[in-house]
Amino acid sequence: MKKRSPADVAIQALWRDNPVFRQILGICSALAVTNLVLNTLVMCAALTLTTAASCLTVSLLRKYTPDRIRMMVQTLIIAFYVILIDIWLKAFWPEMGRALGPYVGLIITNCIIMGRCEAFARFNPPGLACLDGLASGLGYAFVLLAISVVRELLGMGSILGLPVPWFATHWDKWIIMVMPPGAFFTLACLVWLFRSLAPNAEGTAK
Amino acid sequence: MSTHTELWHAMVVCFSAVFTGNILLTTFLGMCPFLGVSREVKTALGLGLAVVFVMTSTTVLNWLVYRYVLMPLQLEFFRFIIFIIVIAAFVQLVEMILDRYSPLLYQKLGIFLPLITVNCAILGASLFMVIREYRFLTAAAYGFGSGIGWLLAILAMAGIRQKLQPARIPRGLQGPGIALIIAGLMALAFIGFTGVLQ
Amino acid sequence: MIVKKPWFTVVYMFVLTAFFSSAVIALSRATRERVETNRRIALERAVLEALAVALPADASALELHALFTQQVRPPAAESHGAFRRVADGRTLAYALPVEGRGFWAPVRAVVGLDADRQTLTGLAVYEQNETPGLGAEIAKPGFTGQFRGRRLGAHAPRLRFKRPGLPRAENEVHAVTGATQTSVRLERIINAAVDRWLQRMNERHAPGSAQTR
Repeated sequence: MKKRSPADVAIQALWRDNPVFRQILGICSALAVTNLVLNTLVMCAALTLTTAASCLTVSLLRKYTPDRIRMMVQTLIIAFYVILIDIWLKAFWPEMGRALGPYVGLIITNCIIMGRCEAFARFNPPGLACLDGLASGLGYAFVLLAISVVRELLGMGSILGLPVPWFATHWDKWIIMVMPPGAFFTLACLVWLFRSLAPNAEGTAK
Repeated sequence: MSTHTELWHAMVVCFSAVFTGNILLTTFLGMCPFLGVSREVKTALGLGLAVVFVMTSTTVLNWLVYRYVLMPLQLEFFRFIIFIIVIAAFVQLVEMILDRYSPLLYQKLGIFLPLITVNCAILGASLFMVIREYRFLTAAAYGFGSGIGWLLAILAMAGIRQKLQPARIPRGLQGPGIALIIAGLMALAFIGFTGVLQ
Repeated sequence: MIVKKPWFTVVYMFVLTAFFSSAVIALSRATRERVETNRRIALERAVLEALAVALPADASALELHALFTQQVRPPAAESHGAFRRVADGRTLAYALPVEGRGFWAPVRAVVGLDADRQTLTGLAVYEQNETPGLGAEIAKPGFTGQFRGRRLGAHAPRLRFKRPGLPRAENEVHAVTGATQTSVRLERIINAAVDRWLQRMNERHAPGSAQTR
């Protein structure tokens, strides 16, 4: 694998491999928290931290991990960081922990992290692997935040719990944005937008 | 709490797991195979039935492990990794049994089993059961109902997509886009069941 | 430099698991006390809010706890599970913790009752996991504020939830718009707990009743 500059790695993960283009599957389970921007921010922070830390750890251990058990080891590492986050939330921010529910734990099964570990962290030095993980997480966060801003704004007239000037008073709040269908439709529109604007970023429309 | 109300509660939870609290359409879990595999009704049915079986069994198993192993040892925070291990082990076991005793069934369903292990819905069902503090009967009913709900959603999705084959879908919406819109419309429809059972 | 001996895999897995597990267990132990404190404080705050005790804005956990120990007595046998606000030896009000199933997950709240056991001093919901913007509104002051001053009816259900917009009687409160299920369940939770508590309290205080239990 040829040497890649950090900038190249970051751009690849942030834009070209962006979830909206390639990995819609990884987003789906986190759609549940996108009804509030604050919850989404915390969720994305958790995911980005986990991805970066896991990729870093996998990369550090890459020369010692026997090939046969690498999936188990990756799962173990990811689970470790997720449990740390869960414990932290319970101790320092219990309401958020309760609001995020099982979705923090479900980060473990998120295909994005496992994908990055398998495809990149396994073969690259720790610095690059961590950067790749960070950038992947941020690309994911970008999409989720976009959805959550739309949902909270149109559904409750606020962002981060703070009322937005015109929306809070004159906008007839769309209840559907507060409920699950709103998340599906918003993501669909986002996908539509991105794929129409940049059809070449994706190979074949699948 | 008397057994009678517990049974009734279990039934209400089961019903809501299928319709109003559908694990796919309201909690967004299990989308991966949903978006990918759901183009043919037959495949969807096979996968769905496998999921019902695995989900019910693992929810029950995980309830037992949580209640009798993790709680007494005060290791509740280990539930994430333990649940995953239980699910993986169970699926492995089922695969082995199927392979040994019913090669025909293994042919049909066997390929789905590894897919199921990463299905977030299976892990999600166990995690929800813990959060909502369900008792045993309700947890089992919830696992079963969630499986049925997932099966229903994936069947409907496959059927709709099959019907949509000849339609001209805008390029940007092809694939995941239209699948998400279908999911959204189904989610909307299922909300109509709210309040049917008290 | 991968050691290709067969036992390496097992040892590796074991060492890794042991390392991560111990780290996690250590952290969990270290935060256990804090988690307990959080729970305790949440309940105490809810009790104070239900009793309509004036809380300073941005009160720290320590201040809350001090206020709580000063004004509130823990549940005793005579109060059948309710906290009591006492002053000069008299019971001013009761705070009854209630819990039950919400639409999604358990709902835990505290109902505040005046010494006459008829007038409500308030409601505070301290644990819920309902839909934000809909069911979750039951935890907000906009909803809980209306419980203050309500009088319980003579027959069950003593406290009724009415559709928003309609005029309320003395024993009625407005449900949350768009959150019928959560409202129905909360109504049930409050009424069941209050009825049960009133029954027990009245048994005790009824003249000539046997003081069992």
